[in-house]
Amino acid sequence: MPATTAPLPVLHFRDVRRRFGRLSVLRGVSGRVASGEVLLVTGPNGSGKSTLLRCLAGLLAPDDGDIDYREAMPDAAPLSAAERRLRVGYVAPDLALYEELTAAENLLFFARLRGVPVELGAILLDRLSLPPDRAVGALSSGMRQKLRWAWALLHRPRLLLLDEPFQNLDGAGEAVVRELLEEHLADGLAVLAQPVDVEPSASWKVAEHVELAG
Amino acid sequence: MSSWLAEASAIFAKDWRAEARNLYALNTLGLFAVTTLVLVSVGLGPMGVTAAGAQVLPFLLWIVLLFATSAGLPRAFVQEEETHTATALRLAARPSAVFWGKLAFSLSLTWALEALVAPLFLAMVQLSVKSPGLFVVGLVAGGFGLAAASTVIAAIIAQTRAGSTLFAVLSFPILIPLLLLVVELTRNAVDGATADVVLRQLLLYDGSVAVAGAMLFPAIWNP
Repeated sequence: MPATTAPLPVLHFRDVRRRFGRLSVLRGVSGRVASGEVLLVTGPNGSGKSTLLRCLAGLLAPDDGDIDYREAMPDAAPLSAAERRLRVGYVAPDLALYEELTAAENLLFFARLRGVPVELGAILLDRLSLPPDRAVGALSSGMRQKLRWAWALLHRPRLLLLDEPFQNLDGAGEAVVRELLEEHLADGLAVLAQPVDVEPSASWKVAEHVELAG
Repeated sequence: MSSWLAEASAIFAKDWRAEARNLYALNTLGLFAVTTLVLVSVGLGPMGVTAAGAQVLPFLLWIVLLFATSAGLPRAFVQEEETHTATALRLAARPSAVFWGKLAFSLSLTWALEALVAPLFLAMVQLSVKSPGLFVVGLVAGGFGLAAASTVIAAIIAQTRAGSTLFAVLSFPILIPLLLLVVELTRNAVDGATADVVLRQLLLYDGSVAVAGAMLFPAIWNP
């Protein structure tokens, strides 16, 4: 029987702690997720799920703990918070795109920032059935959520952080987003999600849960 | 084009595209400048032909420019935070590209404002300038200082809840030296005197604020 090698961890976080004033939100959270896996972060409201995702994205500095994120290849060095910030994909309610610009102009802008081919934006808009020439301010909440997904996948991240990722999506919208997600998972994407509205698909390779206390 | 320059240029172009659609900064700066210009010209009349004009009017010109820019430039960062687009920008662009892209936007707005206000001001108060070249250099260098300082202060106040109040408090100590230098330079331009020392000090101020801002910005912008 041939020896199987475990997938290399993409993200390994240990004993992450974060306080807001006197309130201790994260009290030593640890977990790991590898390429092609989904790690679910569970816990009641206010237990710090979104805070953990913001820390892992590099949007919030933890007070203590170690976040080791590296590309899924042998001998890859861990990335700094600044490098991590530019490489992760992030879908969350607190993320908005420019309302004065159209959906296509938004993705064109971020494609230029990320140095990826500008055609990728048009491809994603087409896959998600989004009107390219409509201003973001005139999009429905479901369309805005699909645009968040397009924004998050535009640079083909290796780690995707999902905070209420299917919020406001109808059945067809959720189906097309799940299809995109599964394609990226098959391609080696690692996903960390807080499953308020995430029902894992049968095809997902779900890693251990991280359970946060309320 | 290097990727850093491409990022900064994309932010500059995005800000102008959004501004062209919502006209927030253009309207704020323009209305404030025109209102104060009319007030000054009605209140003072053709003061440029009097002996006191050369001393007082350069100061009034820069007060108009200072308050007009203070009303509009802080929006560059405040709006990003208020509308939650700052998160997407943080996750997609290097802090240095954000700083220089925003500074370029503020600078272009300031220079456009100066190009509108300065000739109107000179005409309304009938002030003649003996060294027009030095006068323009003062506008360019003073505008750069205003834009650079406003960009840094705007980035700081965008992280707080008392934005407008804090802008006035923070900008006072930072902009007073600039105002003193640029008023002196403009007076020299009106009188036709040389201003080598003041110009060097003004350029030093501009360079210091821009370099300090670029160094501070990553700590302000990111946790």
